[in-house]
Amino acid sequence: MLSWNKNFTFLAIFSGVLVALAFALVLFYAPVEQNMGLVQKVFYFHVSAAWLGMLGFLVAAVCAVLYLRNANLALDAVAASSVEIGLLFTAIANFTGMIWARPVWNTWWTWDPRLTTMTIMAFTYIAYFLLRRGIDDPAKKARFGAVYLIVGFATVPLTFFSARLLRTIHPTIFGTAGSGDMAMTPTMYQTMGFSIFAFSVLFAVLLISRSRLRLSERWLEEQEALEQEEEFGEVSNG
Amino acid sequence: MKNWLSTLKTLTWKDLLQEWRSKDMLTAMLAFAILSIFIFNYAMELDPRQRAELAPGILWVVITFSGTLGLNRSFVAEQEQGSFDALVMAVPGLGSIWLAKQISNFMMMLVLIVIVLPIYSLLYNQNLFIPGLWLTLILGAWSFSAAGTLLASMTVQTRMRDLLLPVLLFPLLMPVNMAVVKAGSGIMTSAPVASYQVWLAVLLVYGIIMTTISLLVFDYVILE
Repeated sequence: MLSWNKNFTFLAIFSGVLVALAFALVLFYAPVEQNMGLVQKVFYFHVSAAWLGMLGFLVAAVCAVLYLRNANLALDAVAASSVEIGLLFTAIANFTGMIWARPVWNTWWTWDPRLTTMTIMAFTYIAYFLLRRGIDDPAKKARFGAVYLIVGFATVPLTFFSARLLRTIHPTIFGTAGSGDMAMTPTMYQTMGFSIFAFSVLFAVLLISRSRLRLSERWLEEQEALEQEEEFGEVSNG
Repeated sequence: MKNWLSTLKTLTWKDLLQEWRSKDMLTAMLAFAILSIFIFNYAMELDPRQRAELAPGILWVVITFSGTLGLNRSFVAEQEQGSFDALVMAVPGLGSIWLAKQISNFMMMLVLIVIVLPIYSLLYNQNLFIPGLWLTLILGAWSFSAAGTLLASMTVQTRMRDLLLPVLLFPLLMPVNMAVVKAGSGIMTSAPVASYQVWLAVLLVYGIIMTTISLLVFDYVILE
C-alpha cells in the first residue's frame, strides 16, 4: 500500500476534486443560517476537521496495538503520521471554532468543557512526539510510542464522558439537542455529510503520503549510517 | 498464582525498604508539598467561605505535583544500577514488577496524604477529617500513581527523563483531576451524594482501566 502507484495518484486527484466540491457546496448550496449569518458556514469545515482529529487518533491507536503484536516499523510510521495529521486537524477545528465563537459567543475562547477536552487531547499527542524525540533507537521509539498511544487513547473516552457531565454551551448536532442549538435543514445535513466524506478521503491521501515520506526518511538515515560505518571501516583498516 | 503473589510481596517489600532506608523521595515530596501550601496562601487570598470549596482542588494540586517528584525517582535505582535486566530474568510474570512499584508508589502517596491533610487542616483552621474526602483523594491517588508508574518506567529510559514525565502524565490525568475536584467540593459543601457519586465512579473506572492496561503493556516497556 505504501509503494508508489497509479491508484494513489488517482486518489490524490479525486480528493482534491472532492474538497473543491465541498467548498462549492458550502458557499453556494448550503443556506445562510438565520441567526448567525455567514459565519455559520465555517461549521462544515469545523465538524469535518474535528472528525478527522478523532479519526487520526483512532487510526493511531489501532496501529499501536498492531505494532505491539508484530513489531512492524511500517505500522509505527503510519501511527506517527496519523497522530500528526490528527493534530493538524484538531488545530484547524480549534481555530475554525474560534472564528465562529467570536461573533456568536462574543469571545475567542471560553473554558467550555468541549473546548478544554479537545485541547487536552491535543496536548496528549504533542507529548507523544516529545516522548519519541527523547529516544534514539527506532524500535524502542516505536514501542514506547505505541504504549503511550494506547494509554492515551484509553483515557480519551473518559475525558469526553467527564466533559459531558459538566454543563456545556457548545452546540450538539448529534444526540440530544439542547437550547441554543441550530435547527439544521436537509441541505445543511447534505453539505455536512459531503464535507465530512471529502475530508475523510483527503485524510487517507495525507496519511498514505506522510507515512511513505516517513519510511523514506528512515531508509535514508539507515543508508547514511551504513555509509559512515563503511568509511570508518576503511579508515581503521588503512 | 501463589508464586506470583509471593513475588509481588517480595518486590513491594524491596521497594518500600529501599525508600525507608534512604527516605530521599519522601522528604523531598513532603517539603515540596508543604512549601506549595504556603505558596497557595499567597497566590490566592483564601477567604473562609471560599475555602471549603477550594480545598479539594488545592490539596489535589499539591498532592499531584509533589507526587510527580516521587514518581520521577521511582525507577532511577533500577536504571542506574542496571537492575532492570536482573529483575526481568529473575521474576516470573513481568506485570508483578509494575504492580509492586505501583503499590509502593501508592503507599508513598498515602503517607503524603496522611501528613498533608492534617497540616492543611491546622494551617487553614478547617476540619478535613471527612471520610468521603479521604476516599476521594485515595481513589485519585491510585489512578494518579497507576498512570504515573507506567509512564515513569518509560521516561526514565529516555534522554529527557524528569522533564518529560509531567508533560506526558498531566494530559492523561484530566478525568482524574476533574473527578477529584468535583467529588471533593461536593463532599466539602455537603451536597447530596447523588450529585457527585458519578465522579467517584469515574475515579474507580479510571483506576481499573489504567491498572489493567499497565499490567498488559508493561512487558513492552522493559523487554528489549
